[in-house]
Amino acid sequence: MFVLRQSFRAITLITLFSLLVSLVTACGPAAPAAPSEIVLGAALPLTGGQAREGGYFKKGYEMAIKEINDAGGVMIKEYGKKIPIKLIIYDDKSDNTTSVQLYEKLVNEDKVHALLGGYGTPLISAHTIVPEKYQVPYLNGGGATGEIYQRGMKYVFGMLASIEKLSHTLMDWMALQQDAGKLKKPVKIAVVGENSSHGKEFRKGIQDKSNAAPDRFQVVMDEPFELNLKDADPLMQKLKAANADVFLADARIADYTTIHRRYTELGLYHLIVSYGPRGTEKAARDALGPAADYIISCNWWHMDIPTQAAKTFADKYQKAYNEPAEWFPALAYETARVMAKALEDAGTLDKTKIRDALAKMDMKNSLVVGGRVWFEANGQINNDYVMMQNLPGGKVALIYPKDVATSDAIVPIPKK
Amino acid sequence: MNIDLPALIVGAVLLAGLYATMSYGLALVYGVMKLVNLAHAGVMMWGAYAAFLCVARLGMSPFLAPVVIVPLFFVLGMLMQRYIVRRVMYAPPISSLLLLFGIWLIMQNIAYLVFSGDTRTITTPYTLMTFKLADISISVNRLVVFVVGLLALVGLQRFLGYTYMGKAIRATAQDGDASQLVGINTDRVMEVAFGISTALAALAGSLMALIFAFDPDFGRSHLLKGFCIVVLGGLESVVGVALGSLVLALAEALSILVVMPALQDFISFAILVIVLIVMPGGIMGLIGKLKPKGVFK
Repeated sequence: MFVLRQSFRAITLITLFSLLVSLVTACGPAAPAAPSEIVLGAALPLTGGQAREGGYFKKGYEMAIKEINDAGGVMIKEYGKKIPIKLIIYDDKSDNTTSVQLYEKLVNEDKVHALLGGYGTPLISAHTIVPEKYQVPYLNGGGATGEIYQRGMKYVFGMLASIEKLSHTLMDWMALQQDAGKLKKPVKIAVVGENSSHGKEFRKGIQDKSNAAPDRFQVVMDEPFELNLKDADPLMQKLKAANADVFLADARIADYTTIHRRYTELGLYHLIVSYGPRGTEKAARDALGPAADYIISCNWWHMDIPTQAAKTFADKYQKAYNEPAEWFPALAYETARVMAKALEDAGTLDKTKIRDALAKMDMKNSLVVGGRVWFEANGQINNDYVMMQNLPGGKVALIYPKDVATSDAIVPIPKK
Repeated sequence: MNIDLPALIVGAVLLAGLYATMSYGLALVYGVMKLVNLAHAGVMMWGAYAAFLCVARLGMSPFLAPVVIVPLFFVLGMLMQRYIVRRVMYAPPISSLLLLFGIWLIMQNIAYLVFSGDTRTITTPYTLMTFKLADISISVNRLVVFVVGLLALVGLQRFLGYTYMGKAIRATAQDGDASQLVGINTDRVMEVAFGISTALAALAGSLMALIFAFDPDFGRSHLLKGFCIVVLGGLESVVGVALGSLVLALAEALSILVVMPALQDFISFAILVIVLIVMPGGIMGLIGKLKPKGVFK
């Protein structure tokens, strides 16, 4: 009886041990405990001088994160499950110092896993020292100036192609107009730019292209002007005296309006007029009326880009916020989605691995121009710009590149 | 490069009218109360928004908007002086400086809350209208702004020279204590002077809104320019302010013949420094050396 009891106990132990071994073998190594949420953070100019643009960025970020969370969150392979995103947004009041302090807070107090960017070159130039210092992956959709990315930073990535590329795009397009016989060769160019790194880069791009093709382009005026221009009259008198064929400028909306009002009052005329990325904004068109017709602009996105991704976003945005989508929320939305993809590609919340995933990013079917998101070694995207021309009646035509163009450009601009 | 010099000079003269309108109030408040009114920029900005509201909400012509704006801001200015500024009138200058700076920031933030940071403009059918005079394009808007600036100068001069309150303001500016001794209610005088200054700032803002795009940060750079003009013209002289405005506008415009347009602000501040060192009394100080000095003459 005793022997039988001992044998039964031994058999039970062996069975339990076998069960345990098979269970452990079947499950593989135990997964680490997953965090309840992935924390992303950004400081945006929600008040102050850049409040309008900051507000657009907030809408874009929130829209993307809501969509991701509605689908269960981001799949993180290390934890074997989808984890929702918690988005923290602070107001930097359009102030550089506050912006830096808030990014420090996001990293040190809120313990973010990754950072989304602010808006505008000055703010982004200032606060990008924080992600680099703490080695936190950072992606922005609101800073185009090449200067941001020329500092050898490893953790900073940007979704806007450079301003230099913007001016190169304008010049390449003008060369096409020359080849088509719509613009004379060489064409005399007057270029002015706001006295900031943005404006300097724009002017440098024009000069570089002009120097490379003196048979096509001749820069006869190259002037910076003060930001928040008080009176455009002296600048426009100089433009008049330059006797140029083409007038190219890089200006913010307020300066664009001030300059072009004076331009119109003085009855100036050029075969092509462009204010760089400005031109299609409703506020400026309302202020300038028909004087803004036929102005050429070169931008990072437009809702009429004929791709499914752009159309889907524009429709969703219109439905969510009851306003047409401008490039600001579009780029913010895509920035948040690219960061989510980087998290998924990394398969972990390890910051260095997320950074590596951003560096290797190759996202297709994106809503950006060209449909593909990838980053150069300096962290900046290098996709195409879309060029537009204002048409009478508040309309806009996409004119370049060919694959997104909705109509031919009207060159030279009709005399009014 | 053949710059059209007559057109450049005409443009500068027209701009001088605007510069003068925005600077009279600064000189008046400094003259009477010895206060550097940093809130002046905030009032100019609110003047621009008030004109915007008159046009957008009330359907008024922007040229008629001053009829509403000037009395409204005059009363607001008087109230501001009575209930806020008076409390620091006799405190060290830094107190009033900080107080008025604080008021400016509050004004700015309220504007951000109410109007957002969007850039606004006032557009009318005659916004871009021009006419030719001896082959020079003259903007209707700029001409109206210049004429209003000129009328403000004449009106202010006559008020200060021929009314009891005007004379009381001049007396208080010369010697507050002596004015009290001869029975002038200097508290009332200061209230009125601050009210006039506020009304003029708002008038300048409403006129500037016809030419420039504006947002809640509007007025900052104009305030600095206003200080240059007041120093250039002489800190307590209305005619000096008008002359200072003309000199500054011409200097800025003509400077493009030798330096790039981006250095226009440099020109303004270089003039400020030179005047403070070489002739601290400004243009009127220089004139005063040739004839007996008078305040607000």
